[in-house]
Amino acid sequence: MKTAPMLSSAFLQPAGQALPTTLLALRFDRASSLADLLLPTRRTENWKYSAKHLKLTDEMASSLPSDASVEAADISGYTVVLVNGVVRPEVSNYPSIEGLSIQRFSELDVDDAALAADLIGKSISDQPAKSGSVNLSQLNGARFEDGLLIQLKPNTVLDQPLFVIHHTTASHSGSAYPRILVAVGRNSQLTVVEDYVSSGDCSVMVNTTTEFNLDDGANVTSIRLNTEGQAVQHMGTTGVRQQRSSRFESHSVGFGGTLRRHDLHVRLEGEGAECKLNGVVVTQGTQHYDNHTTIEHVAANCNSEETYRNIAADKSHAIFNGRIHIHQDAQKSNANMSNKNLLLTNGAEIDTKPELEIYADDVKCAHGATIGRLDDESIFYLVSRGLSRRDAKVLLTMAFINELVDQIPVEQVRESANIGLNQFFDQAFQEV
Amino acid sequence: MLSIKNLHACVEGKQILNGINLEIKAGEVHAIMGPNGSGKSTLSQVLAGNEAFDVTAGEVFLNGDNLLDLATEERAREGVFLAFQYPVEIPGVSNLQFLRTAVNAMRKHHSKEDMNAAEFMKLAKEVSKQVDLDPAFLKRGVNEGFSGGEKKRNEIMQALLLQPKLAILDETDSGLDIDALKVVSDGVNALRAPDRCIIMITHYQRLLDHIVPDYVHVLADGKIIKSGSAELALELEAKGYGWLGIKDEAVANQ
Ligand SMILES: Nc1ncnc2c1ncn2[C@@H]1O[C@H](COP(=O)(O)OP(=O)(O)OP(=O)(O)O)[C@@H](O)[C@H]1O
Ligand SMILES: [Mg+2]
Repeated sequence: MKTAPMLSSAFLQPAGQALPTTLLALRFDRASSLADLLLPTRRTENWKYSAKHLKLTDEMASSLPSDASVEAADISGYTVVLVNGVVRPEVSNYPSIEGLSIQRFSELDVDDAALAADLIGKSISDQPAKSGSVNLSQLNGARFEDGLLIQLKPNTVLDQPLFVIHHTTASHSGSAYPRILVAVGRNSQLTVVEDYVSSGDCSVMVNTTTEFNLDDGANVTSIRLNTEGQAVQHMGTTGVRQQRSSRFESHSVGFGGTLRRHDLHVRLEGEGAECKLNGVVVTQGTQHYDNHTTIEHVAANCNSEETYRNIAADKSHAIFNGRIHIHQDAQKSNANMSNKNLLLTNGAEIDTKPELEIYADDVKCAHGATIGRLDDESIFYLVSRGLSRRDAKVLLTMAFINELVDQIPVEQVRESANIGLNQFFDQAFQEV
Repeated sequence: MLSIKNLHACVEGKQILNGINLEIKAGEVHAIMGPNGSGKSTLSQVLAGNEAFDVTAGEVFLNGDNLLDLATEERAREGVFLAFQYPVEIPGVSNLQFLRTAVNAMRKHHSKEDMNAAEFMKLAKEVSKQVDLDPAFLKRGVNEGFSGGEKKRNEIMQALLLQPKLAILDETDSGLDIDALKVVSDGVNALRAPDRCIIMITHYQRLLDHIVPDYVHVLADGKIIKSGSAELALELEAKGYGWLGIKDEAVANQ
């Protein structure tokens, strides 16, 4: 048996030294502990399907320029733009609202830097993991540059969504490491839209981590749209910690690429916390998309509701791995997980794996996964009324995800999602 | 207007239509009766272009166009309409969106402009009233959770909306209560037009009390074995199919 390859030391040299010393120290620490990280292979359970697409060559290790020029985002509301993982205030439009603070890591004072250092990695395990499961968010901990700390004081409501645009652009191969920390105070409300876009066709890697910390009664909606170019290897991690009676809602819409991976880890730590996780993934050509979610019911009386839909065309591959972990003290937990999948061709592949670990005895936990195809009878019915085959298939495919797209609470995102979906349909349902 | 010549078809290797010949002139209504499993629905599916069925011989012309050369959607746009014996439930696809897409596909084919949402809504409400369906049905998924009778009325509503040249009604009368039968029959009578022909597949004379056909045909074992005037249906009602020399088992299935 071949031994797993090690992470090249080229990856352990971060750029951007203009950070508070606490964060520099933390980053250095993480880098040292990564020195003997084994890379995932197809024998690594949680990288079974995706390891073969990982390209962690020395070329990929180099940092991408943070001063690359980008077009201003076409968004009227509050925006924070990151270029290659670094916040760019001059093309951003921060809201200035009592109780809200949006700061770059580089401008944090000693206290806030300590807070940031304390939050980093809290919601997810970014410590070297036990063998068998490799978490590439660890690498983000060793490489992040000028990230973002968003704080909302108690009882503060942000009146509009905050768009965080992650722009990756490069004229050479390399990688970017956006890091976002969000701390939402008691009973405060916030909607964050993370939009991942790219330009150029260099082979690049985006290794991004966003962490949400919700105090008692906080209400956070996180929307994630991924329309990066084909050549982008995307490794995303979202970590969420929820205190008493808080509510977290996540809507993600992802279009495939060379490698798309998103790990979403929610910890329901306070009684009465609630999360709702919706996800739509579409892949075509030879694209790949791998969603791993973990919901941990740590405290009692929490609810989780998860609905993911994958649609795979051509020779593409979509993966859903949904884990629900109900801790011993999490009595009266209520967990629902549904994953439905649609294969549009024989060559496409979808893998779905629900994993339940239940250590409490008084819980309600339901899960279901299906893989299906478009129904010929239904297509015939629609086409027999004069619809083109494309329109018939679009209606049937949209019927599969409509419910999730309609629930996205920001119209601009619904529109972008629909534009992306229409491009997908044009390719997938090309009439020959 | 419609001319079917020596039509043979099979499904999954099983021969079902064994040489159908049928001529229908513009403005005529033809009823097709016959035992269960004799091939009535197969004929209607083949005419509408269901690819699950293979045509092994024969020709079908509608106004001179060879239908068998056209794809399903092209046939529909040329005016073929099938009211399904078992309309498909399509949850998640709104009836309204489906119907508007269908009407606009038709209009585009005839070089007419798209109907906007408001215009379409008005038209759809009118025709839904004509078949006594609450316009609220328009907002539901296609046939989703519709009762048997509601599905049949929805089919007739679609015919009224799409104004076909050839309407094939496959047992649109079955499963209807007495009032619904009246509503559906009125709908079909409203479809009668000098430039349209209608094929009505039914098991029951009672429909033919409301819609008097010009001809009645008996289909058995994939062939038309007898044709006659409207009186033939009365005779079948009284005597069954036995006297026509159809196998006993087929009659027993009736
Ligand atoms: N998809 C199919 N696969 C196999 N056999 C089929 C299929 N469709 C129809 N058949 C068979 O073809 C024969 C004719 O069926 P068809 O539905 O045309 O009969 P019908 O005259 O409409 O009967 P009914 O009065 O019961 O509606 C039947 O024996 C039926 O089982
Ligand atoms: Mg039938």
